Amino acid sequence: MKQTLVTGNEAAAWGARLVRAKYIPNFPITPQTECIETLARWSADGELPGTYFDRMESEHSVMSAAVGAAAVGSRVFTATSSQGLLLMHEVLYIAAGMRLPIVMATISRGLSAPVTLWSDHNDFLDQRDSGWLMFHAENNQEVLDMVLQAYRIAEDPRVLLPAMVNMDGYVLSFTDEPIIIPSPGQVEEFLPKYAPAHTIAKNRPVTVGPPVLEEYSIFRAQNHVASRNALNVIEEVQDDFEKIFGRRYHLVDEFMLEDAELVLVTQGSMSTTAKAAILEMRDEGIKVGLLRLRIIRPWPNEAVAGALKDAKAIAVIDRNVAPGKGGIMFPEIIETLYNLDRLPLVSGFVVGLGGNPQTESKVKEITHKLMDDLAAGRPRMEWNDLEEI
Amino acid sequence: MYKIRIHGRGGQGAKKAAKMIGLAAFKMGKQVQDFALYGAERRGAPVMSFVRINDDPILERGYVDDPDVVLVLDRTLLDLVNVADGLSENGVLLVNSEHKPDIDTPAEVKNVDATSIALDTIGKPIFNTTMLGALAKFTNIISIDALNWAIEEELSKYPQKLIEANKTAVRKCYEVAK
Repeated sequence: MKQTLVTGNEAAAWGARLVRAKYIPNFPITPQTECIETLARWSADGELPGTYFDRMESEHSVMSAAVGAAAVGSRVFTATSSQGLLLMHEVLYIAAGMRLPIVMATISRGLSAPVTLWSDHNDFLDQRDSGWLMFHAENNQEVLDMVLQAYRIAEDPRVLLPAMVNMDGYVLSFTDEPIIIPSPGQVEEFLPKYAPAHTIAKNRPVTVGPPVLEEYSIFRAQNHVASRNALNVIEEVQDDFEKIFGRRYHLVDEFMLEDAELVLVTQGSMSTTAKAAILEMRDEGIKVGLLRLRIIRPWPNEAVAGALKDAKAIAVIDRNVAPGKGGIMFPEIIETLYNLDRLPLVSGFVVGLGGNPQTESKVKEITHKLMDDLAAGRPRMEWNDLEEI
Repeated sequence: MYKIRIHGRGGQGAKKAAKMIGLAAFKMGKQVQDFALYGAERRGAPVMSFVRINDDPILERGYVDDPDVVLVLDRTLLDLVNVADGLSENGVLLVNSEHKPDIDTPAEVKNVDATSIALDTIGKPIFNTTMLGALAKFTNIISIDALNWAIEEELSKYPQKLIEANKTAVRKCYEVAK
């Protein structure tokens, strides 16, 4: 298959183009800018026929407009980062509550203050309870593939929820990598025209998102059930996806786990470097493997527990922090393991905030600390990048 | 795996240079990864860009801290940035400068006056592409043919005259570099 050199931002833009998004409201922010610039250029060059590319005055307006367009039955794409995602926060709940299958690329960047342009996952994970489906890519091919799959999953009548596809700023968004860009025909076969059963129309007035009283809890429960339904749908679409595109994804990404005694749990682009470090450590005889979290919501409980059940010790590597608590995924992993017959030791490491580079040597350092923890029978929770805090 | 780090100032085209090296190597059938790193996007601030080139898929990301080659587009950075960081005795440090700079490094230090070549051939100080001629000369990692293709690809929106001038500058730089 022919490969093309594109950045993560361009890969997301290709996703929007190939799904024939009808409406793209947008507001620029680093490191998302190039995604929107690419779509703007295509729009100006007439390469997005039937797409309304709408420049707006803020991210709050972008998501509000996205909600409106999706409610009348349009396929909607947008992208944002960091402060822009936080500004959308209020409207994200509305999009999920109205069950609108908007797809948004989020390009992770640390949150102010102080200002950083570089990546960590706090902006993305801050939306964890918004009701959106949340996917996190490791590389540029997965960014494009996830956008295609996100529409198919989000628009499924059993789901009908908005979806976020996250990539790390700079390390993916501005990095050229060879990827396969599928043909429009292939994508049309995988993702037919969007034909929602319920929309607002001129001659068919309906109310969406009305005030409710005791019914409120039913709507929230339905949002939850729809998100849980998505787990099955994610697995179901893989057959079609593989048949058409020749690639297949799983609920979690398992790397050298078969006989692994030590397991590193990672998210996003740092997983690639961690895999390289694991290959080297395997040569030294260290039985270490990796579990990459790629679906954050809905949480793939059984897949995560199944992948970790034979581990002796686990290092949860969080590129985020909940101050006063620790890494955000650390307690999620521990909770997932809680009902296993035999509990592995779990240490937590906060790393790479504001783009602090995650090199192979740092991954090895974490693995050796985990071995020490296992020998001592005592887990830890620490900031791996800093000597002292 | 072959790793290149480029130091420049915002506006000098460090990102573009990395992209062209990436494209050229990709054209030659290699797996590549190129990216730029900057803080506030402003003209004149020190910036870095990176290229990784490999036969197999690349399992490494972010900063290149152990480069095989370092390109310095602007010699005034030598006092500000430790451009030789991570270079070994097998490495090459290539500086855009009339004179060979005195740099404390185990690597081989080379210089080429890319600014003058660019002014002579392109008529503008476009030394980011020009310097790639010297890179082709000192390493076997990219060929002049592949570079020419990358220039045409990356500058396709510009007038043909400018594309040809860039190609001439690259060839001239290749010829004079030693």
